[in-house]
Amino acid sequence: METDAAGMSSSGNWEAVIGLEVHVQLRTQTKMFCGCINQYGGTPNSQVCPVCLGMPGSLPVPNEEAIRRTILTGLMFGCRITTVARFDRKNYFYPDMPKNYQISQFDDPLCAGGAVGLDPFLFPKDLQETDEAKAKRSIRLTRIHLEEDVAKSFHYEERSGIDFNRAGTPLMEIVSEADLRTPGEAFAFLGSLRQVLLSGNVSDADMEKGQMRCDVNVSVRPVGQKEFGTKVELKNLNSISGVRRALVYEIARQIAAVEKGEAIQHETRRWDDEAGATFTMRTKEKAHDYRYFPEPDLLPVRTDQGLRAAAESGLPELPAALQERLMKENGVTAYQASVLAADRFLCGYYEKAALGTQHKAVVANWILNDFLATQPDPVTSPVRPEFFGELADLVAGGTINSAQAKKVFAELMANPSSPKALVEKLGLAQISDVSALGVYCDEAIAANPRSVEDYRAGKGNAINALKGFVMKKSQGKANPAQVDEILKAKLSA
Amino acid sequence: MSAPKLNVADVAGLARLSLTTEETTKFTAQLSQILAHMETLGQIATGDVPEVVPPAQPALRKDIPTPSLSVEAALSNAPAQSNDLILVPKIVE
Amino acid sequence: MSLAHETLASLRRRLVAKEIHPRDIIKDLLAQIDAREKTVHAFTHLDGQAALAAAEKADLSLPLGGLPIALKDNLNALGDPCTCSSKILEGYRAPYDATAVARLRQAGALFLGRTNMDEFAMGSSTENSALGVTRNPWDPTRIPGGSSGGSAAAVAGRLAIAALGSDTGGSIRQPAALCGCVGLKPTYGRISRYGLVAFASSLDQIGPLTRTVEDSALLLSALAGHDPRDNTTDLRKPETFLAKPTGSVKGLRIGLPKEYFLPGMNAETEASIRSAASWFEKNGATLVEVSLPHTPAAIAVYYILATAEASANLARFDGVRYGRRAVDPKDLLDLYQRTRSEGFGPEVKRRIILGTFVLSQGYADAYYRKAQKVRGLLRQDFESAFTKCDLLLTPTSPEPAFPLGERTQDPLKMYLADVFTISTNLAGNGAISVPCGFTKSNLPIGLQLIGPRFGEETMLGAAHAFEQAHDFWKRMPPV
Repeated sequence: METDAAGMSSSGNWEAVIGLEVHVQLRTQTKMFCGCINQYGGTPNSQVCPVCLGMPGSLPVPNEEAIRRTILTGLMFGCRITTVARFDRKNYFYPDMPKNYQISQFDDPLCAGGAVGLDPFLFPKDLQETDEAKAKRSIRLTRIHLEEDVAKSFHYEERSGIDFNRAGTPLMEIVSEADLRTPGEAFAFLGSLRQVLLSGNVSDADMEKGQMRCDVNVSVRPVGQKEFGTKVELKNLNSISGVRRALVYEIARQIAAVEKGEAIQHETRRWDDEAGATFTMRTKEKAHDYRYFPEPDLLPVRTDQGLRAAAESGLPELPAALQERLMKENGVTAYQASVLAADRFLCGYYEKAALGTQHKAVVANWILNDFLATQPDPVTSPVRPEFFGELADLVAGGTINSAQAKKVFAELMANPSSPKALVEKLGLAQISDVSALGVYCDEAIAANPRSVEDYRAGKGNAINALKGFVMKKSQGKANPAQVDEILKAKLSA
Repeated sequence: MSAPKLNVADVAGLARLSLTTEETTKFTAQLSQILAHMETLGQIATGDVPEVVPPAQPALRKDIPTPSLSVEAALSNAPAQSNDLILVPKIVE
Repeated sequence: MSLAHETLASLRRRLVAKEIHPRDIIKDLLAQIDAREKTVHAFTHLDGQAALAAAEKADLSLPLGGLPIALKDNLNALGDPCTCSSKILEGYRAPYDATAVARLRQAGALFLGRTNMDEFAMGSSTENSALGVTRNPWDPTRIPGGSSGGSAAAVAGRLAIAALGSDTGGSIRQPAALCGCVGLKPTYGRISRYGLVAFASSLDQIGPLTRTVEDSALLLSALAGHDPRDNTTDLRKPETFLAKPTGSVKGLRIGLPKEYFLPGMNAETEASIRSAASWFEKNGATLVEVSLPHTPAAIAVYYILATAEASANLARFDGVRYGRRAVDPKDLLDLYQRTRSEGFGPEVKRRIILGTFVLSQGYADAYYRKAQKVRGLLRQDFESAFTKCDLLLTPTSPEPAFPLGERTQDPLKMYLADVFTISTNLAGNGAISVPCGFTKSNLPIGLQLIGPRFGEETMLGAAHAFEQAHDFWKRMPPV
């Protein structure tokens, strides 16, 4: 059976219901409950202490910055920030768990509610023109809470080896309501989520580096039915596009099954990207009984005694607002705004460039098209952003024309220097002097009688030959608009 | 509070304890007796118990690194290790 | 007279006066240990040579310089074993110091001996130890109390000048009462638990076992105070306790909770406590009858909450990162189950199972959450009582030391022995047990004073006054 990219069967009357559970590693200096360094890639078991190793007698102490960042994240997504937040113990045995319970939040998470807006430009490229993308749906969140990450295991033939460096990393869990309906939306959700996190400097949230992990819950039901179908949990999703691929497969699998009258097992399935399919995981039949209870080693956290205020002071301009502003005030296109919103450094570079000039849209074009083409890494480029504004002003002010601007631009990329200086260096100052231009125009008229006749006969385009002659004679420096005016005046005399 | 259904073997499993049949029988008897003693709690009215008010701000930790254990110290008690990793029987998903 | 018979305070005076050297104290203690440790078995570990070496380097300018302290075997001390009297921690060597141990070190104290306990502090008789039974120095056929039985027996038996213990439901106070020494459980949050192997996190407190109240205050002063490594420690400024004892109890209102004086209580215990109450009255205090109405529920609340927390706290003992590991596990499940089943004793297993049960799906509301609420009522009981009095006076233990083996098959009966001490842990108040008499058969009886939370100064003052007006603290066991 064919399914389109949105994962809907072409027999058409099923809909998918998708919820995501996203874990984001916070890039704080230290771990969640101890002062060990929070850093990827150290020698195994070199960033551990009695606390994150779960030694007898050790006690947790919460990382204030991790709490601040979680509150900030909640504010960015419009969540309610809980006044008295608590930690709870989630009890289960696993070798990557130093205490065989994880300190998490159950009853009183730091943030509740909130929503993620799906940015149309963060849909997969092949879906950006669809209604699905243009709908700009808002996906509700259930909660955002803080917990500690588990250790990392390496698997060999008969044994597994555990590195506790990662154990205790602050992890923010973001849970969405089952509001998503298509794999494309799930893709956009993750991209939009990530973009907001980057704007708040909360995390790099790179799925491929394990900084953001995603579990998916998906079920299908007949269109129009209120009750949810049996949901399946998907794990081992290692990239945003992997999430999409897994959902396309799984939704098709579930639809095929229910259309045959088969029941969907409530289970956890593992996505195998190479095989392009999901497989049942060998998990227990019984659901985990986590026996949550309040963490007695930690006092409740009041967010109204300074933590919330500290988070508020770190609120950035959110990507949606940034894009709005750039379009309204700078005149950039929606697409350009989305590119800038997706790259904080580039956006900052652009805004600096646009600061000194009114021609902000022109500057955007240059930076996003030509600049990135020749200098793909703005971070290390020696071209100072102010140069673009300067260049735009030179053109607008008539010092050079657009053809000349191209030459200056090329030189700017190759040998960065102030455009004013480059105009001098290249001897490109545009000629706008009326009498000088008048001489060129006279020459052009004299040298092109045919065109003159054609023009006077009513062929408006014939003036272009005369203009071309002037541009050539003036080595491209003549001010085209003035030339046009002067020629027209002379020809109608 | 109704009489609880304490299945000692099941609960022991949750706690990763494996009991002998003798232990299971003995513990079932002893724990049932203890749980019977706890039935009295059900009769105590707890509707109006005030929440313990948490202090203004507990002492949270600033995000500044403190020294970790050396790898040797970290692994000094590990029953099995290799290449700085702590070894366990193969973890099967 | 052997230096082993002295107090921390008197030894400090003599050390500072250069009458004696720290090694003299260690030598006298080792001599006592040689003579009687075989009978008493207070210690799980003893390193006389290390203590003597440390004595040579003692810094007498520090407040506890040169004074030897014994540590209960559930306190991490860098490089030393920390067995919690359990097989599951065989071979474990602490990679760090507990804050309490570090503070003693910083104050110049030396360490001699790690003391026996009920396994993971679960018990009231020290019979649940995997490392042998400890005997009461007053009568070696009887229990020393528990779980800090080794610490109490050592102090009472003159095998240690002072010791640290831990108290979750009475584990310092009850053995102190049964062994005839002073045992202090501070207010919850006074002394850092960092490095104390956790039994029940919201109930555990470290505290001193000593010959005198003055010694107790000395150690409390060195140990108390906020620790950034323990989020539950209180932020108030550190104090020096009992710096200027008045010896007077005039004007104190002493509350006698009626639920602690029931008909049928042990006659000798009752007589001794009432006599003590009279002493207070005769010396200017007022006796007030108060009520702690939820007392009958305390045992149930305690055994639900403590075991629940313990079931999680002991989950880390799995043979993965430290301690004993089952030999040749065939898979992970086998590793966990065999390590834990072989490593834990029956009382520990019982409590883990009970604790897991009261948290489990379908039962957590009726047991765990209900018990939390009743705990709130118990706390209210104490707060309300302290509006009518300054201190509460009760027996520490319902009866004196019972014979070894008498209750090992009856866990519920064993649990009921905690009835007078348990509520203070649930409410978080501080309490102290001081000797107040002896039975006809020369078994110690202890008196408990309970203070309002963070009211140690008043409590220690009253206890000190009572102690110094009597000779109980000077009596020595025949062993």
